[in-house]
Amino acid sequence: MTDIICPLCGKPNPPDLDECKYCQAPLKTGGFIAPPEGGDELDKLISPSGESGEPGEQEAVASTPPNLEQSVPDWLKQTEANFLDQSETTPSKSEPEEPGPDQISGQIDSLINQPPAHPAGQDNVIDDDWLASLLSEAGVNEPAQSGTPEKSAREPVEEPAQAPAEEQSQEEFPEKAGTSAEEPSEEEQATPALPVEKPAWLTSLEAASKIKMEGVVPPAEVHPEQPFVEEAAENAEEQPPEPPDWLKISAVEESTSTPPSQEAEPQISPAELPGWLEALRPSEAVAPTGPVEDVSNADIVTAGPLVGLRGVISTHPSAIRARKPPTYSIKLRVTDEQKARVEMMEELLAGEDKPTPLPTQPIITSRYIFRIIVAVSLLLPILWMIISGRQDAALPQTGNIPGVVNFTQEIQKLPTGAAVLVAFDYEAGFSGELNVAINSVITQLMNKNVYLALVATNPSGPALGESTITNVYSGLVGNTTTYNFYTNLGYIPGGVMGLSGLATSPRSVVPYSLTSDNVWAGAPLDAITSIEDFNAVIVLTNDSDTARNWVEQVGPRLRQANKPLLFVSSSQAEPLILPYYQATPSQVQGLIGGLAGGVAYSRSVGNFQQNGVWDAYSIGVTVSILIIIIGSVAGGVMKSIPTDKKKEK
Amino acid sequence: MKKILPLTNAAIAIVSGSIVLLGYFFPGLLGGIQSTLLGWAIILAGFALLLGIFNLVMVHWKKVGGEGKGSINSIVLLVSLVLTMIIVSISGPAGTFSLWIFNSIQVPAEISLLAVLAFVLVYAAARLLTRSPKWYTVLFLVTVLLILLGSAPLFFVGEVSLLSSLRSWLMHVPAVAGARGLLLGVALGTVATGLRILIGIDRPYGG
Repeated sequence: MTDIICPLCGKPNPPDLDECKYCQAPLKTGGFIAPPEGGDELDKLISPSGESGEPGEQEAVASTPPNLEQSVPDWLKQTEANFLDQSETTPSKSEPEEPGPDQISGQIDSLINQPPAHPAGQDNVIDDDWLASLLSEAGVNEPAQSGTPEKSAREPVEEPAQAPAEEQSQEEFPEKAGTSAEEPSEEEQATPALPVEKPAWLTSLEAASKIKMEGVVPPAEVHPEQPFVEEAAENAEEQPPEPPDWLKISAVEESTSTPPSQEAEPQISPAELPGWLEALRPSEAVAPTGPVEDVSNADIVTAGPLVGLRGVISTHPSAIRARKPPTYSIKLRVTDEQKARVEMMEELLAGEDKPTPLPTQPIITSRYIFRIIVAVSLLLPILWMIISGRQDAALPQTGNIPGVVNFTQEIQKLPTGAAVLVAFDYEAGFSGELNVAINSVITQLMNKNVYLALVATNPSGPALGESTITNVYSGLVGNTTTYNFYTNLGYIPGGVMGLSGLATSPRSVVPYSLTSDNVWAGAPLDAITSIEDFNAVIVLTNDSDTARNWVEQVGPRLRQANKPLLFVSSSQAEPLILPYYQATPSQVQGLIGGLAGGVAYSRSVGNFQQNGVWDAYSIGVTVSILIIIIGSVAGGVMKSIPTDKKKEK
Repeated sequence: MKKILPLTNAAIAIVSGSIVLLGYFFPGLLGGIQSTLLGWAIILAGFALLLGIFNLVMVHWKKVGGEGKGSINSIVLLVSLVLTMIIVSISGPAGTFSLWIFNSIQVPAEISLLAVLAFVLVYAAARLLTRSPKWYTVLFLVTVLLILLGSAPLFFVGEVSLLSSLRSWLMHVPAVAGARGLLLGVALGTVATGLRILIGIDRPYGG
């Protein structure tokens, strides 16, 4: 059974273990395989090729016992001797006497402070092979300069200096030497009165050392030439790899350049330095050597590869201890100002969840009171004027309002019984403004016995026309019957397209009246085939766009037939219709604009009614002007007065 | 089919527009076709009005089914619409009941709205300088006052000829100049839009 030597504590372990059962160090990576009991393993160590199973080699080893002794280095011999001395001590002690740390340290120091390798140390084939095999088993890379059997055969051993060879091997593998001579660890030392077991390989080494001590074969009498030659011959057959040529050449040069013996070189006489240079030389008394640390009181490493050294870092597992991690306080260091800001932020965030109550507005505010004042100021004078029916304001003059005179003339030009197309294209809300003019115009047309054809491009237009005819006719003095000399053609959809169609073919656009009568079959519309067949077209509108559509779609045909296009518009549409009237040639032949135009036209035709409308309009405008002026001045003054809120801003 | 319909619509629109436009230049040749096409457009516009009324009924019918605050207004609108349609259908568009509904409900309602508009405008003008004391606000208020002063004779003061002349100048020169500029822009835009539709670049009918 082959045991594995722990690389850390040096104790043998069963091969099935991965870690040392003593120190729990990993064994697979760096552990030594302990030699089994018997001489085979020792032969393996001694054998340069490592093939200990061959009988011929065994014979060679047996026939050359001095080689075995030569293969044992001195440090190992010393260790072995110490071990044997300790084993012979009395067992009365509780702990076995082992070499102390000082002793081990001294051994390692002796190994480290070896003199430089002798050049001829390569000839010690047995030592090199022994170490090579030992290292190969330990898994350590073999040094390249270790002597091979081939090299040893080419360079026969001329020097019996075994000690230098041993020193060389020790110098080359100090760590391995230290490892092999490793002492028991502290745990082992702490184990009470356990008998010390010598490993098998150490027993073999002990036997070899005993042979040396008995002086059976003194090293000086060894004749290693022959066995080495034979062994080299065997190895030459078994080990075909040869060193490369460059290595051979360098070896030859080295052998040729190296003098056969180290001759004493002539001493170099010290140069005579000038005085000034001599003065510059550092004084040896100042710093003869470097600073040396006093490690006499330091601890000695008792385990691991640095065992025996003093003052170095201990590799004992106890040195690697799990420490409790340092605890840091999680409490933030904040200033008072930061705390105040945090509190403010928390208050803000807490206030986000709470619904903010809306400020309750008082029922009666200054704005509300101002509205009441404006409404009362407007309504009371107007109502008073309408109720009283007074006529105090000056009526507008006909000559001051453009278009009224021409409108009146165009109406007067219409022959009796003529067909006039009247378009009711205004909203019902403008009835109060437009009805003054419209009633006068319709009355004038009725008085001239004109046939009225009512159309509208506004949906409410047909009802407005029907209502206007009914009201106007009922307002005429002495009329108790309904007015029948008109027709209501109704609503023309399509806006501009409807007007265009009406201009080109009115029969096809509005073939029937609101009463579903075919008015185009009877007089006077039977003579009308297009828009220009009407004697006049009167448009009643409050919208400038509607007026523009009539001017653009119907106006050209009327102008070609020299028929008038007349407008009755609201005050808001008057400025946009007026340019058509003022154009040359005019596209609109007559215009009545707003209430003022209606009053002026009514006065011109003698149809004006004293119903207080004009006074109400006048006082309404006057009050509106006053309200605007007073409100603007008051607002400006209040705006300029500094208030508390403005001061805060 | 998705490719054929847009092309068909574009072809119809371009041909119809071209015929109506050329009808003004060649009334003897294309006048009849132009009148026919315009008649069709007027019928379509009337049908669009009916569709608008139907859409209005549907919208307010949905509001009546909901629980909104305006549901009562929708109920009033639907009831008024149905009653008016029934009465006008029976009495006729020029019937006595139809005119009574118009003269007693629609005309006063619209006049009241305009009266409220006049009141709101006066109130807003009085507060305008308080809310926005800028130089153009002052300019606007001065113009309004001048127009009002010239539109009617002041009560207890009478007509001021200077103010009337100033109002006339304001209405006929600056106001008309601005309005005419707007109308010219609208006319040019209308011409450009009509040409784009005739060429087929703009297709408001889809495609």
